[in-house]
Amino acid sequence: MLLLARFKIIGHSMEPQIEDGQSVLVSSISYLFKTPKINDIVAFKDIRNTQVLIKRITKIKNGKYFVLGDNKRDSLDSRKLGFISKDKIIGEVILNL
Amino acid sequence: MKILKKILVLLPEQIAYAHCDIPCGIYDPHMAQVAAHTVIRMTQLLTDLKSDDQKKMTHDISRMTHVKEEHAGIIEEELETLRNDYFKEEHYAQYSNLGDLFTKTLKSVSKARQNIDMVSAEEVLSGVLQIAEIFYKTKGVEPVRVKSVFPTEREIVTYK
Repeated sequence: MLLLARFKIIGHSMEPQIEDGQSVLVSSISYLFKTPKINDIVAFKDIRNTQVLIKRITKIKNGKYFVLGDNKRDSLDSRKLGFISKDKIIGEVILNL
Repeated sequence: MKILKKILVLLPEQIAYAHCDIPCGIYDPHMAQVAAHTVIRMTQLLTDLKSDDQKKMTHDISRMTHVKEEHAGIIEEELETLRNDYFKEEHYAQYSNLGDLFTKTLKSVSKARQNIDMVSAEEVLSGVLQIAEIFYKTKGVEPVRVKSVFPTEREIVTYK
């Protein structure tokens, strides 16, 4: 993983903050110096490490992260995926391109 | 910033998914109703439990509490699915009490979990039945309350 990476977003679950088809810049530097916090939008690997997902951290419990799509009525997120561990987090979305 | 963005878009592009839920379209309030009846039944059994055998009492309390907990969890999951995935803004506009109904019912689920509390268990069932009625109305069918065949002897909602 590069320290900075550009991701094209597929899906509507982060609208209106991030639109389907939009590109974002993800930084893996951020979490070298701090821990993820509530409200951060993070890129993370799914349970099988096959896809990268983008969601917002809404709860932190026992060092694990509960992530939700901003568009909660139409999002596959921690409500079904459960809490995610820090080692799955690739980085923080720091810029919409 | 514009220049920076022009440079950054030269980075190789990868794909990230802001996944939507799988739109299977299969929703039903039946499981929440059965689970609400189970919570009432376990609360009844726990309230009425009597035995001189302390070991058996402990064993029975553990099992009943476990089942009550498990079914309260099912209610929460089923209601969250209906609230977040099935009901849309137009439903919440048409049935203005729907949002509050979910909030109050889910709070009662927590109370029914935390205690041996028939009042909260009854509130859970009442809320679930009202949500079921609204659900069937949004499906264009007429909801009807009938007496269940469960030992709780309370109602369930189905449709004509």
